[in-house]
Amino acid sequence: MGNVNLSNTRHFKFHIEELNISIENIEKLARMGEGMPSYIEFLNKEINSTLLDASIEGGYIILDSDSKNDRIEVEGQVFQMGEAIAKHYTNCSQLAVFVCTAGPEVSKRSMELSQNGDLIEGFLVDILGSVIVEKAMDRIQKTLQEELLKNGLKATNRYSPGYVDWNVGEQQKLFSLLPNQFCNVSLSESSLMSPSKSVSGIIGIGKNAKYKHHVCNDCSSANCIYRNKRIKDPKNAENNCSFQ
Amino acid sequence: MNEILEQIAICVESGKINNASPFPPQMKGQDGADELTKQALDSGITAGEILQGGLMIGMEKVGVKFRENKVFVPQVLMSAKAMSAAMEHLKPFFASGEAERKGIFIIGTVEGDLHDIGKNLVAMMVEGNGYEVIDLGTDVKAEKFIEEAEKHPGSVIGLSALLTTTMNNMEKIVKAIKDNDASRKVCIGGAPVNDEFCQRIGADSYNPDPQGVVEFLNSQAS
Repeated sequence: MGNVNLSNTRHFKFHIEELNISIENIEKLARMGEGMPSYIEFLNKEINSTLLDASIEGGYIILDSDSKNDRIEVEGQVFQMGEAIAKHYTNCSQLAVFVCTAGPEVSKRSMELSQNGDLIEGFLVDILGSVIVEKAMDRIQKTLQEELLKNGLKATNRYSPGYVDWNVGEQQKLFSLLPNQFCNVSLSESSLMSPSKSVSGIIGIGKNAKYKHHVCNDCSSANCIYRNKRIKDPKNAENNCSFQ
Repeated sequence: MNEILEQIAICVESGKINNASPFPPQMKGQDGADELTKQALDSGITAGEILQGGLMIGMEKVGVKFRENKVFVPQVLMSAKAMSAAMEHLKPFFASGEAERKGIFIIGTVEGDLHDIGKNLVAMMVEGNGYEVIDLGTDVKAEKFIEEAEKHPGSVIGLSALLTTTMNNMEKIVKAIKDNDASRKVCIGGAPVNDEFCQRIGADSYNPDPQGVVEFLNSQAS
């Protein structure tokens, strides 16, 4: 399968307003529970004023790849991600290695609120940060898919180190494939991204690459705030599943 | 049980902070943990009695409900706020030694890890159950845990980690703590760890939820 010469590196910046964040969805993800006071006004203010200039950005670099059983080789780096994830890349000859961040402002704001005793507000802003970064990544992935389609190619779901059997420590290999401080995201020795509300991972590319609408069954994460939503509401997969 | 202590316990359990607080809706316009604690002190009830007969009972109920998935993080945070409002009135009595806590718990997220929501929940729950909590924050090295523990003989240490990469730092930290003082009790928690890991690294207790930490501390205190 010959590889198509796609534009190799893309970088995107987003304004929080263009991400169409659903405040009701944030309260739902936070599991606010019945009878709890509404934080809609608070979240509206955070989105439309306090975090209006959040440095939301992301991007990807496309590289040739070779997948075998439970691993993928890219530019001399071998990702041992386990069969559950590697199987999704069997029809792929290239990978988009991506990173995306909600920016440092969200984490700072969440910490500031919690330290001032506004515990629920701090918790909600933390979830808002997770939603921002996933929404921004949805946009990036959509752009990539559109570009691929023009070239007769398709994309897989996106996966990240830490999911299923893929050790989070392999993030070191992933970041070694990206330009230094790509999208202003850095990685610590213990594989923590900074800013903390950031995601990184890979998307498979190929003529026969397959996009799966539900992958939660592959994952054992009990803490994922998006878990199992897809099963109950398949129409809203884009809003619910972080594996899109 | 004294009626006002019972009311304080209900306020903590349901997250009723003060009179102005609109939550929970069925208690709107009623005094909350803040006012009731002050009233209890004014009526001659001791800080220790309020802690044991009010706050601890309320927080224990929240802890059990959280374990059973009957309430979630926001409700626990509401309870923690109600408890904090009450504790503001009690702190001077603890500081003067007039009232005593059950023990000291030193908690921190281990070196290399910056996640703190789980750690904070444990800290709040433990404090509400009658312990003094010293929160060392995130990215805490073994030396810092040891230094703090040496200042507080008999204290118990709690280690938190969220990543599989940082859970390995727990092993290093537990070893350093035990090398320094083999009798020091250490409990661990966080998404990637389990009982098997706890035993392997020589920690004394693994708990999947905050109430489990409280129960472990109670077993050590008794």
